Amino acid sequence: MKALADGLKRGDRGCIARCISIAEDEPEAFSKLIKGIYDPNRIPRVIGITGPPGCGKSSLIAQLAPIIASHGNKLGIIAIDASSPFSGGSFLGNRIRMEETVSSSNIFMRSIATRGAKGGLAASIMSALITLSCAGFDTVIVESVGAGQADVDILDIASTILLVLAPGLGDEIQAMKAGTMEIADIFVINKSDLEGAYQAKRAITAYLSTLSGPQSKMIANTSCTKKEGIKDLAGMIEKHEKSINTKSFIERAFSMEVNRIAKELLSRRVDGLLARNPHAMSNMLKGRVDPYSAAVKLLDTEKKHGK
Amino acid sequence: MASGRNQKSSRPIRVLLAKPAIDGHDRGVYVLARAFRDAGMEVIYPGLLPTPEEMVRIAIDEDVDVIAISLLNGSHMTIFKKVMELLKKNHAEGIAVVGGGIIPAGDKPMLEKMGVSGNYGPGTPMSDIIDHIKKRARESRSKKW
Repeated sequence: MKALADGLKRGDRGCIARCISIAEDEPEAFSKLIKGIYDPNRIPRVIGITGPPGCGKSSLIAQLAPIIASHGNKLGIIAIDASSPFSGGSFLGNRIRMEETVSSSNIFMRSIATRGAKGGLAASIMSALITLSCAGFDTVIVESVGAGQADVDILDIASTILLVLAPGLGDEIQAMKAGTMEIADIFVINKSDLEGAYQAKRAITAYLSTLSGPQSKMIANTSCTKKEGIKDLAGMIEKHEKSINTKSFIERAFSMEVNRIAKELLSRRVDGLLARNPHAMSNMLKGRVDPYSAAVKLLDTEKKHGK
Repeated sequence: MASGRNQKSSRPIRVLLAKPAIDGHDRGVYVLARAFRDAGMEVIYPGLLPTPEEMVRIAIDEDVDVIAISLLNGSHMTIFKKVMELLKKNHAEGIAVVGGGIIPAGDKPMLEKMGVSGNYGPGTPMSDIIDHIKKRARESRSKKW
């Protein structure tokens, strides 16, 4: 454990990788591991990339990452892919698009599976960020799973959020008006070499004009195949990062993380209570109590017997 | 616990599935990727043609338990050997290496000696491959700290 913590501080890739796995598999062991070596104020700034599947998030990161790294940032990439709800397995394929840049610029990249988490991220994401902060990383690009309308968890950790869209999503942009559309700081219309890019930009501009108050949201047109618009996008990210209060993001991220862990621990206790009190379920199924009362009663049992 | 949900108690096996060197026959790899995923593994697939250097770096960055390499072009004796050397050089000998592809029976003992096990050919039942990877993953984990 000590050697692992030392390796982490040195920035040893193998140790960083091992620590992230420990965070994924054994949160308790991870908490012991980082004791005394982590500083919440050194948590890296997070650029969050979200958007529907197939709109080019990974390809965009592949081109954006070297530019951000060239500005003197120690950059990491965390790409999240979905786990199967049936087998628990996962196909982590983000490297297919990114491998070339990752290997040529020596950027640390890690794929993480959602392992049942909803909201577009994995439960271990904050721990992964803490791990990277211990190894001296100051900027991390987090790619969410191909996200739908309600996958807005990236909001809890990212100081700049890019919503990547593609031409031809016209009606879907309408449908997304609540949810992901609201959390974006920069709208990226990727694949802008394709027909319909102008219409997509117009749809977003129209959406933004309906919002009240001063708007700082930006729209970028990019094309990964033609390598166009990527530098402008990097400029927009820097501009947005300068305009925000980093401290409030750190506070928010950590309070959400404590909230998540507390809920997780409570949920395990409830599982245990249910297992120890089979009559709670059977009473309900026989129609003696309704589900709400059964749940209240179950929690009361814990109070009575102490923990 | 609820069925159909990822069981938190068991850590999924992480596998790097790679097809290095000049060999573009990727149908088989996709079949394997799907089968490994359905067996509950987290499969990292880096695309076609990774070099042995890239494979070893990815395996370390992703903290995989097993590297599964498939080669159909006859260069297994060179490539597999190189991967084993690089793992050693990077102090990552703990990661298990499983091979497969078109591998003549005569080469298998030498590959086994290098530490590359399995070396399955066409027609191998998927369950044999999965069981073998699970076994090697258990060994690999016991060596990690």
